Amino acid sequence: MARAVADTKVVVDRDTHTIVLVRMFAAPCEQVFEAWTRPEHVACWWDPAGQPLAECEIDLRPGGAFRFVNRHSSGAHQFAGVYREIAPPHYLVFEAMGTVGRIVLEQTDGKTRLSVRIECGSAAKLEQFLKMGIDAGTAKTLDNLVAYVSAMRR
Amino acid sequence: MTINELRADQLSKAFSALADPTRRAILARLLVSEATVSELVTPFELSQPTISQHLRVLEDAGFIERGRDAQRRPRKLVAIALKDVADWLEPFRRQWEGRFDNLDRHLARMSKKEKQHGASSRRHQGRG
Repeated sequence: MARAVADTKVVVDRDTHTIVLVRMFAAPCEQVFEAWTRPEHVACWWDPAGQPLAECEIDLRPGGAFRFVNRHSSGAHQFAGVYREIAPPHYLVFEAMGTVGRIVLEQTDGKTRLSVRIECGSAAKLEQFLKMGIDAGTAKTLDNLVAYVSAMRR
Repeated sequence: MTINELRADQLSKAFSALADPTRRAILARLLVSEATVSELVTPFELSQPTISQHLRVLEDAGFIERGRDAQRRPRKLVAIALKDVADWLEPFRRQWEGRFDNLDRHLARMSKKEKQHGASSRRHQGRG
């Protein structure tokens, strides 16, 4: 869908080797925070293809671990880490895959601006993370970008 | 700077250049055929300096180059640069887009449930 494609912004900050994703949601911060921090909710949306997670464990406290596992016919994919800071409903920090993830939620007019900052620490790690973060088999090339920019035009 | 750092630096420039919708639209236009600055001014309804500024950013990021015709100086796409970014960023962005689309739908379901059960939970827990 062309509109959906336009919704998610991705920027790379080259000074801090950070990937920033930004998206607006038509829900209050409290609800978005809950959707990020309770396993029964995360299990419903984490898998990009929309399949419920096979396993979802969340120990929501500083130093507590989390583990999200999705299983497809192509194999299992795990995202696991440890929470660092938890400040509902605006702020969540975790460490995963050698990076620091910062979730910031800001509310305006009942809507929530969500930003996900993935701090990689070095150019090499940024490269590694982009490679690891992508499920096998979804790597796409020029054809996708053509479709993407064409969709932007409409 | 190592090769990796140089490469990451170039990718960052490319990502920043793509962050702007007008610049993405200009790239989409140049996918069809090369075009001069004045040929780009008309469809985008932007001033010539504004278009030129966008073109400078795209050129700096390595997305476009100037054609051989010295008088018209048409801009054209550098296909390999697009491929580079597509390889890196687009699958990643799509993955998160899928995730956020799911979250969007899930939040709508959460709101609906809360409305349905709102009255009873307020009575029992003192909150909505």
